[in-house]
Amino acid sequence: MSKQQTEIQRNLWESPWGYAESFFIGVGLMITGFFLEAFVTTSNPLIIQYPTNVFLLLGYVVVLFICYKWFSSSQIIRWLTKVPASISSIVLITFLVMIMGTIPQIPSQNNIINNLGLNRITTNWAFILILFQFLTCLGLVSIKRILQFKWDNFGFILNHVGLFLALTAGVLGSGDLQRLSINVYEGKPSWIAKDLERNDVELPFAFYLNDFMIEEYNPKLALVDNSTGSISHNDGKNLYIVEKGETYYFNNFEVTVEDYLPNAIRFGMRYEPVNELGSPPAAYISIKNIENDSIKKAWISSGSYRYPYESVKMSEAYSMVMTIPEAKKFSSDIDILTKDGERINTVLEVNKAFKFKGWKIYQLSYDDKMGKWSDLSVLELVRDPWLPLIYIGIFMMIAGAIYMFWVGNKITKNN
Amino acid sequence: MTWIDFPFYSSITGFLWITGLIFLFISYKKQAVTKIAHLLFIVGWAVIITFVIKLWLELDRPPMRTLGETRLWYATFLPAIGFLTYIRWKYKWFLAYSIAMATMFLTINYLNPETYSKTLMPALQSPWFIPHVLVYLFSYAVLTASSVVAIKGWYDSYKGNFNIETLRLADNLVYIGFSFLTLGLLFGALWAKEAWGHYWTWDPKEIWAFLTWMGYLIYIHYRYFHSHKTKQALTILALAFVVLLVCWFGVNYLPVANTSVHTYTQY
Repeated sequence: MSKQQTEIQRNLWESPWGYAESFFIGVGLMITGFFLEAFVTTSNPLIIQYPTNVFLLLGYVVVLFICYKWFSSSQIIRWLTKVPASISSIVLITFLVMIMGTIPQIPSQNNIINNLGLNRITTNWAFILILFQFLTCLGLVSIKRILQFKWDNFGFILNHVGLFLALTAGVLGSGDLQRLSINVYEGKPSWIAKDLERNDVELPFAFYLNDFMIEEYNPKLALVDNSTGSISHNDGKNLYIVEKGETYYFNNFEVTVEDYLPNAIRFGMRYEPVNELGSPPAAYISIKNIENDSIKKAWISSGSYRYPYESVKMSEAYSMVMTIPEAKKFSSDIDILTKDGERINTVLEVNKAFKFKGWKIYQLSYDDKMGKWSDLSVLELVRDPWLPLIYIGIFMMIAGAIYMFWVGNKITKNN
Repeated sequence: MTWIDFPFYSSITGFLWITGLIFLFISYKKQAVTKIAHLLFIVGWAVIITFVIKLWLELDRPPMRTLGETRLWYATFLPAIGFLTYIRWKYKWFLAYSIAMATMFLTINYLNPETYSKTLMPALQSPWFIPHVLVYLFSYAVLTASSVVAIKGWYDSYKGNFNIETLRLADNLVYIGFSFLTLGLLFGALWAKEAWGHYWTWDPKEIWAFLTWMGYLIYIHYRYFHSHKTKQALTILALAFVVLLVCWFGVNYLPVANTSVHTYTQY
């Protein structure tokens, strides 16, 4: 303890720099960043694209290497490779991300939030400057351990180099990331997509939607409070699926599904199965009041964009309704038409993207008002040329995490 | 083979595991008794995995759709990971912890027989779903345990009989928990790329998961280089756990919550 006491006695900025100096520099960078946000007006966030970002990355790594190799005796480089600099930058990044996790990152009416850019942290100068310091520390310690390679350092290198790669590639590559969405209608070729700012982008190929398909779950039964109109069973969660022959219990009602028709229309007293656009599901249920043994039978339907829903009043307090069926799986059978006259057929599905000429094509959405009769399919196109580098980083970190699990913390164990 | 057979299989498994635990705790380095305990764990696990496989074949789809089915997977995998960790690190109580959690999941399933299936939105129907959730659940469990140890450390140093071994135990737990936290975060990123087109979108849950990760990162770095400053380390560990709790339960109450894809509680 006495050794630490004497350490605290030393003056600020006396070599080597410790936590006080590190936080002094870090907070200084952060305040500088907020000043830039408040007083230097930039209309657009800084976007670096190919090939500038490639040169920047290579240049950065070379500069880091040179700094470590030939200037490691200088005060600042020594400081950057030490723990106080790492911890202070981790703490300050945590602080800024915490702001991001608390203040919604959307346009704001509040002047302080707006002027300091607290609602756009990822492009905020304060964040960029601290991140730069963080990455510089990370890069320098990575180079240090690589140059002094020992097998004991293997996990360290995997974790640190992996994080460095994933972060720098992610940050520098964000300018090259393209995310487009395109509305594709059945029986019509489409090639004009929209970017995130809703600008039109012409694609070098077209999509032709052969068929949009939806598989739905059966609708669910819900007990509704007549006075509030809200679901008053299981907190609105885990509702019962409508299936023919099933019996469910709601408070003191016993509800049996006598018949279920996935597509039906009302004809007089009853629903009949039909094969018609917009025909909703319907069920014939019998409701037994356990208290007085009275039985009531009725048809209910969830309705659709074409037909009204139908519920049944069970008592003064409660009604039984049928929810709109939820999508189980939706997919698009599409042809991709190229300018060379090629025609590639594929089926897109959520979680099953299709790779085509550097693009990844995703099933994004559909006309949810029309539900399973939607003839619109919304696709997303993503192009991220930096992805391989990011994946290398991610897989290095996965390997590092497994290594870390297996080896644990030798240092403290050997103490 | 359906859920009707579940009580039969799960009670056998639960019985074998708990008997195994009793054997393990009375074994006191008696090799033979320890071996019996190991055998009981493995047989118990074989019984539950048999049930899972048969259920899978019967349903003709991976049994990963309903809540009850995910609980079944937790109950299957937790003891496996716990057993592996025990073999590696020799923490008996840790195996007991994972067995207790698994038995709890089996009991919940027993009390809530799922005669009706529940829906799962298409984006969640992914092979990443189970590893992502499972790894996180495990990591949270271990990191929670590390905080329990930290509280013990605080109490001990308040009483004046702090033992450095307490902090070493916390370290080991943080290392195990943090490696799983990293895996959960990265599996999430890989899944997000497949399902939503981008690996990182600063979704509120992602932000707080990242912050949790950073919190434990600070602890690990601090411990690595200042192994004698125990009080500060315990404070960092406690603060990191507060961030973890915000991530786990608190995000839904923050002003940013309504933009998250992770707000499953409202569903």
